[in-house]
Amino acid sequence: MLLDLSEEHREHLAFLPQVDSAVVAEFGRIAVEFLRRGSNAKIYEGAARKLNVSSDTVQHGVEGLTYLLTESSKLMISELDFQDSVFVLGFSEELNKLLLQLYLDNRKEIRTILNELAPDLPTYHSLEWRLDVQLASRSLRQQIKPTVTFKLHLNHNGEHNTKVLQTDPATLLHLVQQLEQALEEMKTNHCRRVVRNIK
Amino acid sequence: MEGSASEKPALDAKSEVTNQLIDFQWKLGMAVSSDSCRSLKYPYVAVMLKVADHSGQVKNKSFEMTIPQFQNFYRQFKEIAAVIETV
Repeated sequence: MLLDLSEEHREHLAFLPQVDSAVVAEFGRIAVEFLRRGSNAKIYEGAARKLNVSSDTVQHGVEGLTYLLTESSKLMISELDFQDSVFVLGFSEELNKLLLQLYLDNRKEIRTILNELAPDLPTYHSLEWRLDVQLASRSLRQQIKPTVTFKLHLNHNGEHNTKVLQTDPATLLHLVQQLEQALEEMKTNHCRRVVRNIK
Repeated sequence: MEGSASEKPALDAKSEVTNQLIDFQWKLGMAVSSDSCRSLKYPYVAVMLKVADHSGQVKNKSFEMTIPQFQNFYRQFKEIAAVIETV
C-alpha cells in the first residue's frame, strides 16, 4: 500500500532536502519527542534562527515529517512501500535512506503511542464487597434479609471512579454463572479458531 | 413523605432557593463478612434520601452510619425539635 501525500504535505517536506542529513535526523528526533510529550514551539524558533529560515518553515518541515512517520506506522506499510511512497518526492538517495531508517527505528514506539488514542471505556481497577444482613427498615421490622454490597473501582481516562452496587445472593449467583459462561465461550471451537488465526 | 416518585413532586415557595426533601428511607443492617475481613458483626444504619431541586429533578442520595454516628445524628434532630418548641 502506497502513501498518498497531499500537495500541502509535499510542500512542507520539500524543506528537508534543503538542509543537511544531520538536521533531518535531528528533526526526526524532535518529531518523535513531540509525539511522546507534545509539541514545543520554542524548539522551532531556535532551529529557525540557526538555519536562517522562518519558524513556520521549520514547523511545517517537522510536522510533515511527523505526519509521514505516523501515517506509515499507522498503516504498518512495508519497507518497499515506504521507499516507493517517498520516491515520488524526488529526494536524494541518502535522504530516502535516512527517512526509511527513521521509519523503521521508530515504528514500534509510534504504534504504541497511537494505540493510546483509541476510545477508552472505563476499566476495572478493583472490587470491594461486603455481605450484610438487613434486620429492619422503615416499612418492615424483624427481618433477616441477606444482601451483598459492592464497591466497584474503575479507571477512566486517568480518573478513578467508584460505583456502589447492591444485590441479593440469588442475583449474585446468577451474575457469577453468566460471567463463567462468558469465560467458557473462549473454549469453544469457534473462538479457538479465531484466536489461533489472529496469533 | 409517602407517595411514589413517578409524579412530579409538589414544590413549595422555599424550593426556589433550597432543595426539597421528598422521601427519607432507612434500614438497619449488620455486615457479617467482607473482602478485607471475613468475620464481622458490624451494625449500621443506611439512609436513602430523595431530594428535588428547584426544577423538580429528583436525586437520590444514600449514606451509611455506624451506631455511634447514628446516635449523634439522632441527637441533632432531638436538639432541633427542642429548639422548635421554644420558637
